[in-house]
Amino acid sequence: MEFQEAFEWYVAAYLFLAGVGAGAIVAAALADMYDREKYLSFIKAASVIGMPLVSIGIGFLYIDLGQGFWKPWLLILLFANPTSAITWGTAILTLFTLFSLVYGAYNLGFIKFSGGNTMRWLLIITGVLTAGYTAVLLGVLKAIPFWHQTALPILFIISATSTGISGAMLVKEVFFKNHDHLGKIESTHMYLLILEIFLLAGMFLIALQGVPEMKYSAMSLLTGKFALEFWLFLVFGGLLIPAVAFALAEGGKMKISGGKLVLFEVLVLVGGYFLRHLIIHAGVYTQKFTEYLH
Amino acid sequence: MQKKFGMAYIVDRCVDCKACMVACKAEWDVPEDHFRTHIHTGIKPEKREKPSMDFLPHQCNHCDVAPCVTVCPTKASHKREDGIVFVTRSKCVGCKYCIASCPYDARFFNHDIGVAEKCTFCLPRALEGKEPACATTCPGNVRVFGDLNDPESEISVLLKDAAEKRLNVWKLRTDLGTEPNIFYVKK
Ligand code: SF4
Ligand code: SF4
Repeated sequence: MEFQEAFEWYVAAYLFLAGVGAGAIVAAALADMYDREKYLSFIKAASVIGMPLVSIGIGFLYIDLGQGFWKPWLLILLFANPTSAITWGTAILTLFTLFSLVYGAYNLGFIKFSGGNTMRWLLIITGVLTAGYTAVLLGVLKAIPFWHQTALPILFIISATSTGISGAMLVKEVFFKNHDHLGKIESTHMYLLILEIFLLAGMFLIALQGVPEMKYSAMSLLTGKFALEFWLFLVFGGLLIPAVAFALAEGGKMKISGGKLVLFEVLVLVGGYFLRHLIIHAGVYTQKFTEYLH
Repeated sequence: MQKKFGMAYIVDRCVDCKACMVACKAEWDVPEDHFRTHIHTGIKPEKREKPSMDFLPHQCNHCDVAPCVTVCPTKASHKREDGIVFVTRSKCVGCKYCIASCPYDARFFNHDIGVAEKCTFCLPRALEGKEPACATTCPGNVRVFGDLNDPESEISVLLKDAAEKRLNVWKLRTDLGTEPNIFYVKK
């Protein structure tokens, strides 16, 4: 079995940052529609990271491109092929970046016009597409069975929303020094983490029954080459510990604020990065062909 | 009629001398750590009293339904009318998407020039009516290159003859729907 080496950590960083940025804005737009007054600090914090993180993510993509920096005019060709998921992604990202720039400028008081509910819906749609597309990019490749799974975009959208909430909470706590209690957002976050755990477990159960390459990828995460990072940074650090902590907080058995909040949100973010990093690195090509000799 | 280039390997003639790999590297100045064509080795463990090895040449299959072409955002990777899947270097942005998309692991990233690379059936030679460098060099005459649409070409004759004699002829991973144009023949 041969691990793919075409996509490395730069691509993981791009997928992660695009996810956090998009997730934060989607969560903010939803909170905005629900009760703008109450969640204003969260909405502002999300606006600070939304567009910038997506742009930094795109920056990582440019660094990864063999020619992006040397021949920037080639970037316009990224729109050239309608059958390519990169072309879809470029279009989605361009729209999302523009919309979230306007929305951010409005929330932070630079401009007066937000575009109202239309804008919020556009943000939610392009934001979800941004988060989901990063998985579709991998999912359309038949050559790597572990990526060729429908569950992947759903997993990435949930993880993007959850890491987006973490990013915005973190900014709110550290930079806005605002300790508003945002009950609804916190319980949503807990449910997202639980959903992610179930989805991930399901994906592995299915992968273990799949073609040998798929199984090999799954095993490389569960017990093989990437097991340490998988269990430590993704499963325990990124999902189980924060999920349990948020559940205890939900039940009133623990108070999460200040330093503790920062710690758990950072754990979720690290987990979100490792989710992409590990899924990318565990990609295994379809079988070598020597067996066809017999 | 429009040409359609393809290649057949008469696999039981291959002795793993790797002359094809060297010839290709010399012809195309391929970076040190990569090759455009490989020889895979297979061992038959089931015949334990007399273990035997097989050698399988391997390269870009110039697929008719090529995933690398579908996913290339810039159209740098494209299917030519003569059937050759080609990468236009001046258009390739180096996103590596085609590399991950190829089920045959036939592509690699050329770090020296920042673009994706693979076998091109030695396009300039093919246009002059010559064989690719690997086929010319192969001492065992394993590689038969030519126009699949021309019934008189060496490759068409070989495939027709193989069909008549009911020889074992196959392509790699046809289940993936890529419609490859590399034929494997066992005489
Ligand atoms: S073998 Fe790979 S690189 Fe060659 S045409 Fe098919 S998909 Fe493309
Ligand atoms: S690396 Fe080049 S040839 Fe390959 S998909 Fe990207 S732009 Fe196309």
